[in-house]
Amino acid sequence: MSRGLLTGALAVVLMAGTGACGGGGAGSGGGKELTFWMYQDRTPQAGQVIEKVRKDFEQANPGVTVKLVKIPKDDYNTKLGSAVASKSAPDAGILDQPLVSKYALDGTIKEVPAGLIDEADYYKGALDTNRANGKLYGLPQDQTTVALFYNKKLVPTPPKTWDELKAAAERVHAADANVAGMNVPKGDGYGAWMFPGVVHGAGGQMVDDAAKKVLFDQPPAVEALQLWVDLLKSSPRKITDSDKPFENGLAAMTISGPWDVPTIHEQFPDLDFGVAPLPYKSEPAGNIGGEDSVVFSTSKNPDLAWKWLAFLANATNNGAIADAFGGFPVHLKAQVVAGGPEQAAFLEQLKVAHARPAVPQWIQVNDEIIAPAIESALTGKATAQQALTDAAAKTRTLLGWNG
Amino acid sequence: MAAPALSQRAEVAAGSGRRARRRPPRRRDHLVGWLLVTPALVYFLVFLLYPALSALYYSFTDWNLRSDAGWVGLANYADLLFDDVKYPHFWRSVQVTLQYTLLAVPMTLVTALVQALLLNAIRRGANLFRLLLFLPVVTAEAAVGAIWRWLYDPQYGLINSVLGLVGIPGQNWLNTPELVIPALAFIAAWQCGISMIIYLAGLKGIPGTIQEAAIIDGAGPWQRFWRVTFPMLRPTTFYLLVTGVIAALQVFGLVYVIFSGNGRSVTGGPEQSGLTYVLHLYLFAFRYDAMGAACAMSFILLVFIVIVTALQFRFVKQEAS
Repeated sequence: MSRGLLTGALAVVLMAGTGACGGGGAGSGGGKELTFWMYQDRTPQAGQVIEKVRKDFEQANPGVTVKLVKIPKDDYNTKLGSAVASKSAPDAGILDQPLVSKYALDGTIKEVPAGLIDEADYYKGALDTNRANGKLYGLPQDQTTVALFYNKKLVPTPPKTWDELKAAAERVHAADANVAGMNVPKGDGYGAWMFPGVVHGAGGQMVDDAAKKVLFDQPPAVEALQLWVDLLKSSPRKITDSDKPFENGLAAMTISGPWDVPTIHEQFPDLDFGVAPLPYKSEPAGNIGGEDSVVFSTSKNPDLAWKWLAFLANATNNGAIADAFGGFPVHLKAQVVAGGPEQAAFLEQLKVAHARPAVPQWIQVNDEIIAPAIESALTGKATAQQALTDAAAKTRTLLGWNG
Repeated sequence: MAAPALSQRAEVAAGSGRRARRRPPRRRDHLVGWLLVTPALVYFLVFLLYPALSALYYSFTDWNLRSDAGWVGLANYADLLFDDVKYPHFWRSVQVTLQYTLLAVPMTLVTALVQALLLNAIRRGANLFRLLLFLPVVTAEAAVGAIWRWLYDPQYGLINSVLGLVGIPGQNWLNTPELVIPALAFIAAWQCGISMIIYLAGLKGIPGTIQEAAIIDGAGPWQRFWRVTFPMLRPTTFYLLVTGVIAALQVFGLVYVIFSGNGRSVTGGPEQSGLTYVLHLYLFAFRYDAMGAACAMSFILLVFIVIVTALQFRFVKQEAS
């Protein structure tokens, strides 16, 4: 008796569980059903854009239904991980960029079939975020990047080079000791994520993943970190650690992405600001973010799933889709949805944006090794060179790249 | 007249109860019994025992939630304790958590006791004040985190403004490594409502006659507190100490909210000064893809909590006197 009850209750619980996860799997009836997991719509309009593309796809492929499962971004990775673990992953879905190489190397996702797309049609940086071991494991859907936000009252012309940046910051702080020149990124996960864009600006790179070499103890990275250290002199933390220092006019410059533009316009309508590409030392550069999408190995209709992903990323649809996702197109011929005057700087920046290293443990290296190294240099506990030499040695040991 | 009648009736009732118990149990009774305990039993088995045993198994494996778990024996445990390349901040997280516990638990107990004494002393408006003092406990953690980020703001924060009034220079609370733990412990002390309620119940349980006797003997308020009230509250204090330490060692939500503002930095505050043990565990489980190691961390914590609790039962006085 008790066992029967228990099993019954267990079954109910399990069913409720899978139901809540919105599980994948093949569809019923004659037609084929495709399940696609994505982040929750940013705006109602975004939802309409995706709905229209979904209908177009179903019309072009009779008998196919695409089921969109929308999940809040904060819960997405955890939910997806659980779904994969319980073998109930969808056919396809959005996948956070740093997870692509992880999922690729443990066989969770499929390689992009040959001939699905012409790689020359896409931005290189965006496409590269889908690579692992040199092979392509997903398609980009939208891309985004960070650029320099500057307060036009305090900094009339945006700096182009590192020297101009330092000079501008010094000028601002000298004129008013209560205002910081720049909101210098911190030695945390977010700061460490932005750091490679600055390193590329000095002609360097973090790692050479093909040759398995750690390079962030070389001069370009050391100079990049030294730049942040130097900027702190005219940008005291006591000022920039306040809530929204740039928006409140306490910091003349900051680094952020297009997602902040509408928020600032809405909440700080009086702030007169502009956006310019990141200042660089020897070559313009930046880093890249955005959404990639992949097909899971457990999919029953992988060909159809790839077709759907390519449909989202093609020249016709990608402009609207990328805008709905909150970024810019990845397809070179796609129409960019017109935005404000800030847009040009981001588009300029995207042309020179670099993907983060395709190393499965990269988030861990980023958070646990590089971020503390940046912090120890910024707080003066070590020189930039010492901090990065130490961090690079640890990274080599962790990744086993001692060759 | 009425009293004996009542007690007689009670005897009869008790007697019939005894007779009822002597009857052989029927199948129906078993069924009802099982039905009553089943929800709790299912909950315990499915959501507590099974996950705990699985976690113990996975702590001996290399597992990332997706692929099959590979048996690695004690490697996770050994690496956590001794490999500072793989887990550079493990011992830091232990240190942070111990510091937090040593600071937050006494602060919470003192605040709770003071609040309870004040509430016990006033006649009017006790309900209102009890509600106000209890509110921090039932407020959503995310809201609490956001509010305290404002209060601690180096430029606009209320705390720095108040300190400024008495001539103390403002601090950059949440961004100075040495100040992070005190700042977090202060929030914990502010959220002491549950301890306060339990202390209040303890205070109500002290017989008024003892206090009266002390007054007649000429004891002042201070003496009455140290010689009568505090010793009488010892069982309450012991209970709050044990449960407080267990909770403090597992502190997570507040730190996570405070240091992940805008979903950005979850690396645990400046120089890992707010990287508590469970936050560290969470990062390995869900951000760095090392669920096996995270399971091992949770078992190390479990063993540690059991030891600390056993030591408290052995060495801390528990009886009222």
